Amino acid sequence: MSTQEQSPTARDAALAKMLAEAVDTCARCGFCKVSCPTYPFGGGFETFSPRAKVAFLKDYFEGRDVLTPEWVDRLYRCTTCERCQTVCQTAIPLVALWESVRADIVTKGLGPMPAHKKLRALAEKHGNPYGESASRQSQWLSPEHHPMEAADILIFGGCTASYRMPSMLQTGVTILTRLGVPYAYAGGEEHCCASPLLRTGQLDVAGELIGKNLDLFARTGARTLVTPCGGCSKTLKHDYPVWAEKLGKPFDVTVRHFSEVYVDLLRQGRIKPSVAVNKTVTFHDPCHVGRSQGLFDEPREILAAIPGIKLLEMPRCRESSRCCGAGGGVKANYPQMAAAIARERLDEAVATGADTLVTMCPFCQGSFSQAIKESEASIGLSGLEELLLASLRQ
Amino acid sequence: MTYQEAAEHAFGQAVSFDPQILRSYDHDLGEMPRPLMALIQHRPHTVVVARSAADVATALSLAKRYDVPVTPRGQASAGYGGAIPSRGGMVLDLSNCNRILAVDADKNTVDVEPGVVWEDLSRALAPHGLDNRVCPTSAPSSTVGGWFAMGGVGIGSLRYGSIRDSVLEIDVAGLDGTIRTFAGADMEPFHQTCGGLGVITRLRLACRPAEAILPLAVRLPDAAAAARFLETLATTPAAYSASLVNAGYCALRAQAEGHRPAITSGFLVSIALLAPQADTAAIARLASDCGGEVLDDAVAAQEWEGRYYPMRIKKIGPSALVGEFFIPFEGFAATSADLTAALPDDAFGLEAFAVRGGKLAVLVYILDDAKALLYPLRMAKAMIPLRLAARHGGAPYATGMWFSALAKGIYGPDKYERIARLKTARDSRDLLNPGSIGGPWLPFLPIISLSRCILWGTACLAPLAARLSYTRRRATKHPGATA
Repeated sequence: MSTQEQSPTARDAALAKMLAEAVDTCARCGFCKVSCPTYPFGGGFETFSPRAKVAFLKDYFEGRDVLTPEWVDRLYRCTTCERCQTVCQTAIPLVALWESVRADIVTKGLGPMPAHKKLRALAEKHGNPYGESASRQSQWLSPEHHPMEAADILIFGGCTASYRMPSMLQTGVTILTRLGVPYAYAGGEEHCCASPLLRTGQLDVAGELIGKNLDLFARTGARTLVTPCGGCSKTLKHDYPVWAEKLGKPFDVTVRHFSEVYVDLLRQGRIKPSVAVNKTVTFHDPCHVGRSQGLFDEPREILAAIPGIKLLEMPRCRESSRCCGAGGGVKANYPQMAAAIARERLDEAVATGADTLVTMCPFCQGSFSQAIKESEASIGLSGLEELLLASLRQ
Repeated sequence: MTYQEAAEHAFGQAVSFDPQILRSYDHDLGEMPRPLMALIQHRPHTVVVARSAADVATALSLAKRYDVPVTPRGQASAGYGGAIPSRGGMVLDLSNCNRILAVDADKNTVDVEPGVVWEDLSRALAPHGLDNRVCPTSAPSSTVGGWFAMGGVGIGSLRYGSIRDSVLEIDVAGLDGTIRTFAGADMEPFHQTCGGLGVITRLRLACRPAEAILPLAVRLPDAAAAARFLETLATTPAAYSASLVNAGYCALRAQAEGHRPAITSGFLVSIALLAPQADTAAIARLASDCGGEVLDDAVAAQEWEGRYYPMRIKKIGPSALVGEFFIPFEGFAATSADLTAALPDDAFGLEAFAVRGGKLAVLVYILDDAKALLYPLRMAKAMIPLRLAARHGGAPYATGMWFSALAKGIYGPDKYERIARLKTARDSRDLLNPGSIGGPWLPFLPIISLSRCILWGTACLAPLAARLSYTRRRATKHPGATA
């Protein structure tokens, strides 16, 4: 590849060309339609399926169709869960396609959706889409936690875990603390990883946030970023290297989801779960942890190491796992649809007969927490970290 | 009350007249040239999403009252035009009629709505100790009703024959809004006729005990050896399913997936045995007797796991012309040799399923680019396999709309006559999937069948088309694809 081809503009053009070509390879088989969690919410009309969206985009790329507000709405009704991409016969990079088209929609001033604009405004003003102040970012730290000024590991809390669903983050850091694993934390300086903005096509502000985080990472000198969030870890792993190159900033770190850290510690014998946790659990693979990062075995390896845990798999698990409905900006703009998707997944969990639904992403935890409350389902909810911590001797 | 008012009154949010919604329903799996599509009214003016048999009956009554053509549609995962309107009108989307109605574990049967997806059905039958007897390679999306209405063979057909052989009873809605039950020979006319005589609202299927499957892979040196191998394999009690691919197909798939091909010459036969009765040593002897060899277990597992992904090779197309036909085992070698000679510049992929009764259902994939200027001309290549097969006892696979001119050959004269009589009796105004029986007519000369024109045209163009190759694109790893 020539130097010219590696320039951001040329790469973007190459991406656009590749996506246009990818659309041509659609086999129209409908595997994506059947597996899409949002398609049923389009009244059952084919038009709301990934297959129909690809057909539309083919015409759109070739100038035979135009983006109407209705199509913009349809293209935002997608959680970017990657299930369509996993089942695709011709391996079309569908999520890259959806995200690229959303970026195009934003560039043309036709989007994003109203709730996404609010996320942007808050992120621009406060550095996070919840509009929380930087001073509250480290509120989850307990007296037990002792982050260092500098360490190989830098904890990246992420907005949802830091401000809304802190238990996974808190528990994970507690485990590291008790094991004596040194870590740093830049609470108050961390910006949103930009996942919600990237997924909704708001690339300009995403670039600004990513740039600030890249500067932070370089400043701390950390070599490993550890996060409890599926969205953050996916974004840091897959998007940051591309953006670092685009922005001309260094990004010489390894990104790890907490599940990877626990498995390493287990294999090294540093974590020794010994206290029985007598629960029958079912594990929900978060889309951005499982399909996006290939972390299917890790959570199961951790569960298998905890004495007393019995795992009952849902019929749709691992690569086939059903989305919780939160991703891709869907929960922000289509809360009812997101809630219905979460309830459907919750029903699958309840049907296993498990007493506890376990997951490893704050977004999923938030979705299921709400679904359990609304449906009064007789199942508990737990982060995997909590079970792991409970199995460790004090 | 106008038609639109009546439809909205009957179906509320489940009916649409929105042009953007409607355009999703004007095509199926096949990529036909635009000038050809322009000859039919492939864009419907109404879409109704049916969710029950009652919805289907209501939609048909409405169609009759207002003289509106109706095209039933499952997932449209076949490329024969059977789910494409030829006179506009209403598309009746049946993919949401997808309930499993009853499982009888004692009688090994299941009752389903037509929109039930094959793979979902397999999953639902598992707790009852049952599984599908046959299913298409498009099982993750295609529907039970759709496959019966199209007619088809696939996985499991070596042991259980076609889908027709596993359907015991059907309910069919007619234009008068009534739903009647048909069984045995009475349901024969509804098989392969794409809803041209009525819309199926329930099917009772025979199931098989859910025994474990043992996959095996065998390499045979040539087509004759492969046919000989399959002929003997068919008599093996444990044989459940068998399919074969040629080395050309393996090469294309390896290129698309980025690995080394499983074989570089000859044919790869992928076998599924019922594990409890499997005698692998006997299979190895049989392979050896035919000049072949049993391949590594990993190859067998990969072939079995990839059974639902025959279209992977399209990734390097980006389009694919597909020719499909039945051929007796004894005609396969000659057909295969003729194909190689007739398509000298195409690295075509060949995939075939063995069918009970001593025949193969063969798909020939010829990669192409639908956006290329000469594509409409090269499309004539898709008919070459069928023409060559006919010389060696072959027959067309299905009719749909595009091959309706071959209906007599596909159905047989008796069934054809019976269908024609029923069509007159049940649907004299040709409202039920017009074009699927008898074919759509040329708009400017409505006494000539479009399907027949396609056959004539492709016959004339085939020799030229065979000489027109195209440049395949290289399969690249998509940057957006994840591990």
